[in-house]
Amino acid sequence: MLEFINVNLYINEQELFSNLNFKINPNEIHVFMGKNGVGKSSIANAIMGNKAYKITGDILYNGKNINNLSIYERAKEGIYLINQSPIAIEGVTNAEMLRVALAEKNQERVDIFKFNKELEEICQKLDLDKSFIHREINVGCSGGERKKIELLHMWMLKPSLIILDEIDSGLDVDAIKIVANSIKEYHEKYHPSIIIITHSNTLINTFSNYYVHLFDDKKLIKSGDKTLAKEILEKGFKDYQDMANVISEN
Amino acid sequence: MNKLLVSDIIDLSNGVYDLTCQNKELEINILGDVTIYLINTSLELLKINLNKESNLTVYHLNFQNLKDLKVDVYQNNDSKIIFNSTFINDKNRDLLINNYINGNNNVSKLNIRCISKKDLAQVIINVFVKSNTKNNIALEDLKGINNGGLIHIEPNIVASSNEVIANHLTTIGGLNKDELNYLLSKKISEEESKKLLLNSFIYGNMDDYIKKESGGE
Repeated sequence: MLEFINVNLYINEQELFSNLNFKINPNEIHVFMGKNGVGKSSIANAIMGNKAYKITGDILYNGKNINNLSIYERAKEGIYLINQSPIAIEGVTNAEMLRVALAEKNQERVDIFKFNKELEEICQKLDLDKSFIHREINVGCSGGERKKIELLHMWMLKPSLIILDEIDSGLDVDAIKIVANSIKEYHEKYHPSIIIITHSNTLINTFSNYYVHLFDDKKLIKSGDKTLAKEILEKGFKDYQDMANVISEN
Repeated sequence: MNKLLVSDIIDLSNGVYDLTCQNKELEINILGDVTIYLINTSLELLKINLNKESNLTVYHLNFQNLKDLKVDVYQNNDSKIIFNSTFINDKNRDLLINNYINGNNNVSKLNIRCISKKDLAQVIINVFVKSNTKNNIALEDLKGINNGGLIHIEPNIVASSNEVIANHLTTIGGLNKDELNYLLSKKISEEESKKLLLNSFIYGNMDDYIKKESGGE
C-alpha cells in the first residue's frame, strides 16, 4: 500500500528527516509517535503531496511511485489527510464541495436524494447536527466539530489510506468516543490503511492491533507493535533519546 | 419582491426591488428601508439620494454586459447605505464610487469585490465627509482577485470632520493556496476547485436571492 524507501524530507532547504524506511500494508494501522515539533505532521503533509516539502528517495503507493503526483492525483489514488487544525472555507458548503467531488469521481450527476440521505445518516452517527451539511466548510465550528466534519467528508469520499494528524487532540470525552468509533467502523467496513499521529492512547486503544513508529532527531528510531506505544506512554520519550543519538552517530 | 423596469429617475420607498435598467443612467431617491438588486445591468451612471432616516442596501453583481460604472451617493442626515458590489472583468473596466456625506448620523459601508480575468479592473472609491458634521461612519472593504488580469484599487476617505469613524481595508491577491490545497485533497480537480473558490468570492457579499437569480457565472 504505502512504502517509504530511503526518503529524505526537506522544507525550505532544511532537512527534516533522512533515510526514512517503512511499509504500511493494506488494512494495517500504523501509529506515528514522537516529541512535539519532531516533524510527524510534515511526513503526513509530504504523503499528501504538499509542494512545500521536497523529497528524495521513493514514496510508493500501491507499488507506484507517487513522488511527482499532485495533491489531487494522490487524493484520487485514495489518500486522505485530516489535519490537526482543519481550515475553514467561507462561501463553500460541505454539501456543495462533496457534490462536486462525487460528481467528478463517479463521472455522473449526483442523485441528490440518495446523497442527502447518506449525509444525514453519517451526521447522525457522528452526533453532528444535520444543518452542518449545508453550512460553509468548518466556518464558525469548534475544533471538535471540525474533526467530525472531516470524518463526514471521509465517509463520503471513501479513501483507502487515511492519515489522522492528532485527530484526538482537543476533543472532549464524548467526542473522542464518537470519533474513535466512527474510524473503527470505517476501518471494519472498508479496510483502509490508517496512519494515526497521536500523543495519547485514547484513540489507539480502540484498535486491537497496530504498529508503532517512533521518530526523533530526523530519524525513525524505533518501530514495533502496540507494546511500544504502551512503553512510550508510560516512560516518555527520554529513554529513547540515547537511541536517537546512537543512530545519528552511526 | 418588486421587479421593476426603470428608466431615468425613480423614487423607491420601503421595499425590496429587483431593477432592470432601460437606460445607461439612473437616479434613485430612497425613502425608508429599501433593498435594491442590480444584476448584470449595463448602467454607466447611477445616482443615489438618501433622504432623512432612509436605509438602503444595494446588491450589485455584474459579470455580463459590464460597462465602466460611476456611482454617486448623497447622504444628508440620519441615513445608512450598504453597497455590496461584485464584478468580473474580461477587458479594461472602471468602477468609480463617490460617496458624499454632507450631514450628521450617517453610515456608509462599501463592500466591493472584483475578479480580473483579463486586462485591468480599476476600482476607485472616494468617501467625502463634509466639515462640521458629526457621528458619521465610513467603512470601505475592497477585495480583488487576480485571475489572469490586473487590478488597481484606490480606497480614499477624505474626512474634513474630526467626528467621524473611518476605516478602509483593501486586499488584492490570488486564490488562497491553503483553501485550494484543501479542496484538491478532497478529490476535486484544480479547475473545479478554483471555480468553487471564485464562486464563494463572487457571492461572498451577496445574498441568496442574487445567487439564485444570477444563475452563477
